[in-house]
Amino acid sequence: MIKTKVMNTVARLHRAWRALLLAGCVPAVAAAAGPAAAQSFEAEVTPLVETSCLACHGDRTVTPLNLSSLGFDLTDRETYRAWERVYERVESGEMPPAAVARRPDAAVVETALGSLKRALVDANLAARGEQRTPLRRLTRLEYAYTISDLLRIDEAAGEILSRGLPAEADSGGFDTVAANQGMSPLHVRSYLDAADRALDTALAVGPRPPTERRVIEYVKSRGLAFSSNAEFLGGGAVKKLDDGYATFSPAASTYLLHSMTEGYHVPRPGRYRVAVEAAAYQAETPVTLTLYRGSSQGGPASLDELLGSYELVGDAWQTVVITPFLSPGELISPAIADADFPPGDDPLSYFQPDKNVRDYAGEGIALRTMTIEGPLLDAWPPESTRRLLPGVEFDAEGQVRLTKDPYQHVVDAVAAFAPRAFRRPLEDGELEAYASLAEPLLAGGRPFLDAVRVPLRAILSAPSFLYHHGGEPGEMDDFGLATRLSYFLWRSMPDAVLFDAARAGRLSDADVLARQVDRMLDDDRTDRFVRDFAGQAFRLYELQATAPDGGLYPEYDDRLGQAMARETELFLGELIAGDHGAGSLIDADFTFVNRRLAEHYGIPGVEGQQMRKVALPADSPRGGLLTQASVLKVTANGTTTSPVPRGNFVLANLLGQPAAPPPAGVEGLEPDTRGTTTVREQLDAHRSNPVCASCHRVIDPPGFALESFDPIGGFRTHYRASGGEPRYGHALVPGFYSEGPPVDASGVTPAGDAFAGIEDYKRLMLRDDLDQVARNLTTQLFVYSTGAEIEFADRDAVEDIVTRLRGDGYPVRTMIHEVVRSGLFRSR
Amino acid sequence: MITTRPLDRRTFLRASGVAMALPLLESMSPVIARAAAAAPPRRMVTVCTTLGLYSSSWFPQSAGAGYEATEYLQLIDEHRSKYTLFTGFSHEEQSGRQPHNSEITWLTAARRPGLDGFRNSVSVDQVAANHLGYVTRFPSVVLGTANAQSQSYTLSGAMVPAETSPAGLFQKLFLQGTPEEVEREAQSLNDGGSILDRLKSQTDTLRGRVSAADRQKLDAYYDAVRTAEQDLAEVKAWQQKPKPVVDAEPPTDIPNPADLIGRIKLMFRMIPLILETDSSRVISLMIHDHGVVPQVQGVSGDQHSLSHHGQDEAKIAQLKRIETQIVEAFGDLLTDLSGRSDADGSLLDETMVLFGSNLGNANAHTPVDLPILLAGGGFPHGTHVRHEGEHNAPLCNLFVTMLQNMGVDTDTFSQSTGTLTWS
Repeated sequence: MIKTKVMNTVARLHRAWRALLLAGCVPAVAAAAGPAAAQSFEAEVTPLVETSCLACHGDRTVTPLNLSSLGFDLTDRETYRAWERVYERVESGEMPPAAVARRPDAAVVETALGSLKRALVDANLAARGEQRTPLRRLTRLEYAYTISDLLRIDEAAGEILSRGLPAEADSGGFDTVAANQGMSPLHVRSYLDAADRALDTALAVGPRPPTERRVIEYVKSRGLAFSSNAEFLGGGAVKKLDDGYATFSPAASTYLLHSMTEGYHVPRPGRYRVAVEAAAYQAETPVTLTLYRGSSQGGPASLDELLGSYELVGDAWQTVVITPFLSPGELISPAIADADFPPGDDPLSYFQPDKNVRDYAGEGIALRTMTIEGPLLDAWPPESTRRLLPGVEFDAEGQVRLTKDPYQHVVDAVAAFAPRAFRRPLEDGELEAYASLAEPLLAGGRPFLDAVRVPLRAILSAPSFLYHHGGEPGEMDDFGLATRLSYFLWRSMPDAVLFDAARAGRLSDADVLARQVDRMLDDDRTDRFVRDFAGQAFRLYELQATAPDGGLYPEYDDRLGQAMARETELFLGELIAGDHGAGSLIDADFTFVNRRLAEHYGIPGVEGQQMRKVALPADSPRGGLLTQASVLKVTANGTTTSPVPRGNFVLANLLGQPAAPPPAGVEGLEPDTRGTTTVREQLDAHRSNPVCASCHRVIDPPGFALESFDPIGGFRTHYRASGGEPRYGHALVPGFYSEGPPVDASGVTPAGDAFAGIEDYKRLMLRDDLDQVARNLTTQLFVYSTGAEIEFADRDAVEDIVTRLRGDGYPVRTMIHEVVRSGLFRSR
Repeated sequence: MITTRPLDRRTFLRASGVAMALPLLESMSPVIARAAAAAPPRRMVTVCTTLGLYSSSWFPQSAGAGYEATEYLQLIDEHRSKYTLFTGFSHEEQSGRQPHNSEITWLTAARRPGLDGFRNSVSVDQVAANHLGYVTRFPSVVLGTANAQSQSYTLSGAMVPAETSPAGLFQKLFLQGTPEEVEREAQSLNDGGSILDRLKSQTDTLRGRVSAADRQKLDAYYDAVRTAEQDLAEVKAWQQKPKPVVDAEPPTDIPNPADLIGRIKLMFRMIPLILETDSSRVISLMIHDHGVVPQVQGVSGDQHSLSHHGQDEAKIAQLKRIETQIVEAFGDLLTDLSGRSDADGSLLDETMVLFGSNLGNANAHTPVDLPILLAGGGFPHGTHVRHEGEHNAPLCNLFVTMLQNMGVDTDTFSQSTGTLTWS
């Protein structure tokens, strides 16, 4: 009995230490804390230290912390860090340890904690000058959305422009955090170039470019005719039909069927309407038409981006329409997926000279036409041009016709554009400072459009555009608040409604602010936030970082990869829309799937390729973030899984308590897929070393629970070993694997609770970790939205929200409201 | 992504063009004709194959001059006297957030990549490039085989995006635009200059209205603008000069990422062109994970999966097929560089070529015991230098030596503890 208690305490202590040591948000303490606070802190903490701490944390004790020599100078970074740890451990009741020390008087503890807290807060605030967030730069993503919203150009065009900017640093934190953001001459030159190209896109004059319509009738294709008749290929991979061609293999789409091989070349960047007429062919079960964006320079095309998947049932022609943004050099290719082939036969064998595809009986897709129309233009000159040049008229040829003095036009353009670009009214002198850049050009006889570009380009490279609002510390003005809110939920500049509210000075009103938050959360642009937050907080940006091993996991394909990402984004979106509790991150009774993902998860009865919300069967191991294929794939290397990265994901990304990196000289585990040893056996050997065990007893358990999921998030009872009989997945090339050793997903938490697998583990997490998951989510929302880490002085703001929402189970939409309402959000 | 599958290869080979050839004639190197008195230029090329090299096929058992060439080294053994092999090099603290994070610090040695507010530090090639400045049209050329990720980082830790298109690079280096294009570019540079000048004064005005913390950020911006302005002036000066003329067909890009080896070879053919025309003296090339099954005979897995071979013999055999072709292509680069010469000797004598990886054992993601080879640069070569007993000798010591060879007046770089000499 007593033994158990001690073990539990030790486990809890260990856990607390981990949190304290690794919180990772300790401020640099430079300036002096208030001397009065420092003195009372020394006087009021000493009684507790002397009676209850020094026995273990003194001069001649073995623990790393020595309170006799620590001192009280909180301007010293290490000393500050150590006292911060002391505070947390005493405050949580984990120190002094109940089992080994005399309990101190409650009043002594309270006095010490109160005083220590004041001193730490003072030191923290003194160090950062009462301003949490220094000037925050637009991230590359924010630039992309902002430039398209600001110039009213296509979002895809903005994204393409932003690719020329330097990538954000791989800081391990959000790229919105000002302290992680760099600025370099490379940035400046990239901004100048990007602005130039953005204005090329936005300022379009001259005759209206023709919107061309091109119908590819596959039955008339010479390339297809040649390929289907080629003797050498024994019939090739496509089959001629009366009114089109049938395709059986996605590989065929890399050199046949796509728009470029049929002679269509994208004339200029823009939106295009692409309609494909297709039908299932020889198909008993649904087959899937996929549409890809790709590129080619004469050779086989690379089909880079899956634009959509459409299920085809029956042999009636169906028309699928998409409107992608296309650039010259790009192509659209229809390709087949989900085709079943007869046992012992597959379309690739019809490359052999002795077979003809006419005899092939497997499932295929018939293609009749592909119609491409574009670029699609609403108006000419486009709205982007008209709005950039207020008061300028255009003649029948689309040429500029000035209605007043050219310089006055420039002034008008800057006066309309700069306040939107800077997200605030102009200061005295700014209008003149930017507009006058056009003067020498006008004087030198350069065309008006050349001249007006220079101030616009300057504005798009200016600090007031590239950085969020500066100013004095303290509460932000309404424009600052509008900007912070807009970049939080929409990843872009405020829209007209937000600007109006700011201009009217009403945004800081709590009710107005709450209504704006609801309006914004109900808008589609919130998807931008959800995607980016999932990408960074839950590492979904790394989803495509590794390609699964085609030999071991032949069932993986682009459609599954895309569905995985969408599942998590839709799930997080639903937590906001439906105000679900943060516990849903740990476990939930619903998720989002299409047929492809449902098959992967073993959820029956889901037809079609569109994602939809489904209730999870009671016996499904799925539910919550950790059992989503996206997270399971991100935490594997494509070939094997290890409990270590998955355990680390739970600690760092869900609980916000990352483990320490391994000490120098420790090497990673050597993966073995021969089926002779399992990663658990290797890890057990690792854990017999007490140094390793001290961290791994915390890291490994959640990873053990997730061992039931393979590198692509499939549920497994056995590992797959390489080599064996051919296994066909969704790819036409088989994998060769056999059943390896059985999976053991059991373990023991550091607190001593045994679990048999993921279901048990989720129950334990809901019981023990829900508070911490909610605390971490609140913290992450603050960090992401305010661009600064949560430091000691900010913790009360987080704790306030956690406490207030505890009774309701931490509903996520409400949490966002609380964050925005908080003084932390509204101050710089 | 859908790419061509090995089984379809026959079809595609006939459909696609034959590999391009870039013959470079002796008469094409007048650009290197310098004043006879001037010291020969020093050059630096770094090539990193980011998925590692199978250790047993790379590292020789014995050290010294008489080492026995391993499977991979036999492929380049004809150049043995022109390079030195190193064993036991690494940077410290390279376990990052992701196991492949060490690829972003191969040339910088910044610690703990991707963790705790990580910001990269300057890369060794960019130190050399900053030292040389605009003595050539481009202070450095940064290349990648698959995407814009590079290993080159500026002084403030910003990644220099990699050029992935040999055709685009060729155009930038050697193709004179039409007079209208040249005029437009000049105009854009001019406008850029006056814009930056105005932004400095606007930044000054803003400084007066913001807090001390904000001011630090604005100062960094101001400095960046000022340096960019200086760079722009240099770029403008170069823009007035005609580009070097080369008697080579412009390369055709290979859009299919499955043609990993083709892309590597194409980049390797650009490197001598860049150096010989003195367009730049500093080049970094990152060989990426292409994420697809490469078109290499007998290979059915993608390179990353194969690098996690899990001791599976069949996978190791496939991995070796890919790496063999990479090492062979590197051998061709050495042949190419040593075949070109001017009054001062061969291009290779003037050029340090660093070849290796950020992973020692890719199967386990180990960022120690890195495969490292240094060719050219006028160093004594022909040996295998083993750092025995000191398992983790700082790779940065070699970097310091390389910087000194470039004429940089320094005796430290990142994690260095000294310089490296060997014989």
